[in-house]
Amino acid sequence: MTAPLYIALRFATHRKRALLLSLVGVIFGVGIFICTQAQTQGFAQFFINSTIGSNGALVLKSRFQPRYEELVVPTKNVSALPARRNYFEGIHNVSEIMRVSRQFSNVVACSPVLRGNVSARSGFETTTVELFGIDPASHLRTTDLAKQIIDGKFDDFTNNTTAVILGYRLADQLEVGCGDSIQLLSPGGEYWRFIVGAIARSGVGAIDATRVYAHTRVAQRLLKKSYQASMIIYKLRDPDRAPALAAHFETLFQHTSQSWQEREESTLQLFIMLRLSVAITVSLMILLAGFGIFNVLTMSVLSKVREIAILRSMGYRQVDISAIFLWQGVLIATVGSLIGCFLGALLTWIVSKVPIHIRGLLYTNHFLVVWDWRHYFWATVLAGIAVFIASYVPAKRAALLQPVDTLRGSSF
Amino acid sequence: MKDDISLSCRDLERFLGEEEERVHALRGVSLNVEAGSLHAVVGPSGCGKSTLLYILGLLDVPDAGSVEIGSTLIAGLSDEELARRRNQLIGFIFQFHFLMEDFTAQENVMIPMRRLGQLNDEAMSSRAADLLKAVGLGDKIRRQSRHLSGGEQQRVAIARALANDPQVILADEPTGNLDTNNSQRAFELLSNIVRARDKALLLVTHNRFIADACDWVHEMKDGRIVTSHPHGQRILVS
Ligand SMILES: Nc1ncnc2c1ncn2[C@@H]1O[C@H](COP(=O)(O)OP(=O)(O)OP(=O)(O)O)[C@@H](O)[C@H]1O
Ligand SMILES: [Mg+2]
Repeated sequence: MTAPLYIALRFATHRKRALLLSLVGVIFGVGIFICTQAQTQGFAQFFINSTIGSNGALVLKSRFQPRYEELVVPTKNVSALPARRNYFEGIHNVSEIMRVSRQFSNVVACSPVLRGNVSARSGFETTTVELFGIDPASHLRTTDLAKQIIDGKFDDFTNNTTAVILGYRLADQLEVGCGDSIQLLSPGGEYWRFIVGAIARSGVGAIDATRVYAHTRVAQRLLKKSYQASMIIYKLRDPDRAPALAAHFETLFQHTSQSWQEREESTLQLFIMLRLSVAITVSLMILLAGFGIFNVLTMSVLSKVREIAILRSMGYRQVDISAIFLWQGVLIATVGSLIGCFLGALLTWIVSKVPIHIRGLLYTNHFLVVWDWRHYFWATVLAGIAVFIASYVPAKRAALLQPVDTLRGSSF
Repeated sequence: MKDDISLSCRDLERFLGEEEERVHALRGVSLNVEAGSLHAVVGPSGCGKSTLLYILGLLDVPDAGSVEIGSTLIAGLSDEELARRRNQLIGFIFQFHFLMEDFTAQENVMIPMRRLGQLNDEAMSSRAADLLKAVGLGDKIRRQSRHLSGGEQQRVAIARALANDPQVILADEPTGNLDTNNSQRAFELLSNIVRARDKALLLVTHNRFIADACDWVHEMKDGRIVTSHPHGQRILVS
């Protein structure tokens, strides 16, 4: 053990109460930082998982053609910029695109979807729904739909082309259950009758309130489309790399393609803002703990002026004196963030058991948390920085004390 | 008296304070302290005795002049170098013993050793115990220094000054805060150790009996050494 560390420990055990108080500040700062991050990210992560689980990490949509309009010399002065592309609805070479895209290592599975908005009615209730015409087998591989079934069986849907799967909030709204029938209005004006084969809950409110799954071929006929798919949704090994793949697909296939990050941008921003504002609030707490430590150490330096002079006269360098007080800071930071991490984990666990009834943006019955080592890491780093800043100034001041002034002062 | 000089200084000048309050505290002080000898510095309050001692102890830097310890010239050294030399070559004893209150006698004596870092914990404790035995505190090594009497505390300070076996011991009124008996005892201890271990001792004192018992007495006035006499021949001026 180095001499400064030894003396730091001796000094630290001396001012127990004050030190304990600043320690408590760090512990709570770190603990609450971890717990709040776990929660805010918990909700965000749940939303992300749900949206990816239902709508895929990447979606390929309409075909486009560049218009090369800039090459045309305009005859009149047009103020509005001309559109850059011509879009064509539907994907015609589905199997070809799927074959090529499966070659990408990041692609786990993909599934063609024919999407359309139709009117649905049952009894006296009518509402607009988002019809997803899917191929059950490939959709199963690409999404979490099977896991989302809360009533009925996925197989009941697979084996029956006249069956549909309904989002649970939609089912509530239409007041139907499994085995009941609903009617979908085709663009031609006639109602088609379907049996509710299963009810699904994705967790994302917007999906659960509007989504109806039907078999592709049936949907194609109902919607009167010439093509089998209006989009292809992808399951990715690494969803974080979706934007790059989307850009690549766009040039490769000449189809618009959208990553989940782009699709959910506004919601994600909301979550990030929430997380950031909580992080800032809690960081202020840690900063406050830093102020406490600053006070404790400044008082400690003032009360050790004599001791500092003795140590200097016995050959302790300025850096040794600084080190004594920095070590005290290090001790507070280490012990504080260690216990703080445990507290954070405990709080996170307790919070995850707290019942909460959310039925809007998300569906959950209890607080959502994520367990992420990075929260612990950043809480510790933050505490370390705060404590270092808090102990640096007193330590520096202690080092610059002139022993001669102290020694002379007390011999008068 | 031996001829090898442990501590010497030449033409020391020191100004203290700022601007109007500027004091010419040392005005050309020179002296030599040989190994195994006791030198006393006497003089009226404010004549610059402590200032001289701090400069010789490398706690302060002169504005002019030089200090030699052993045969090495101390000039223009960094804080780090000065601290190292203080730690190895010099032992300090002050009027108000200046012990670490919450440390035991033994731990106090170990503080300079820890900085030196040449011994392990065990060797340090046993050396500290030996030094405390030598000053007659063998039975109180584990007592907190705040629970020791004034005389005992000063003896701990003497043991601590010897911790790293320095060549030079500097004492600023080491007995100034003790009664006659304890003064006598502390001084005798110090002088015995200095002679037995061949140290050089420079002490500042107001006590004429102690001054008379030293080998040399340097009398200071207004920042100068006005007279230096070998032992016993001093005539009190003040
Ligand atoms: N920081 C300072 N600023 C200005 N003057 C100072 C300062 N420190 C000491 N002095 C002055 O320098 C002179 C020498 O002081 P010093 O402490 O060396 O005296 P001394 O001989 O040790 O006195 P005493 O016997 O009372 O201890 C004194 O006149 C004192 O007032
Ligand atoms: Mg003095």
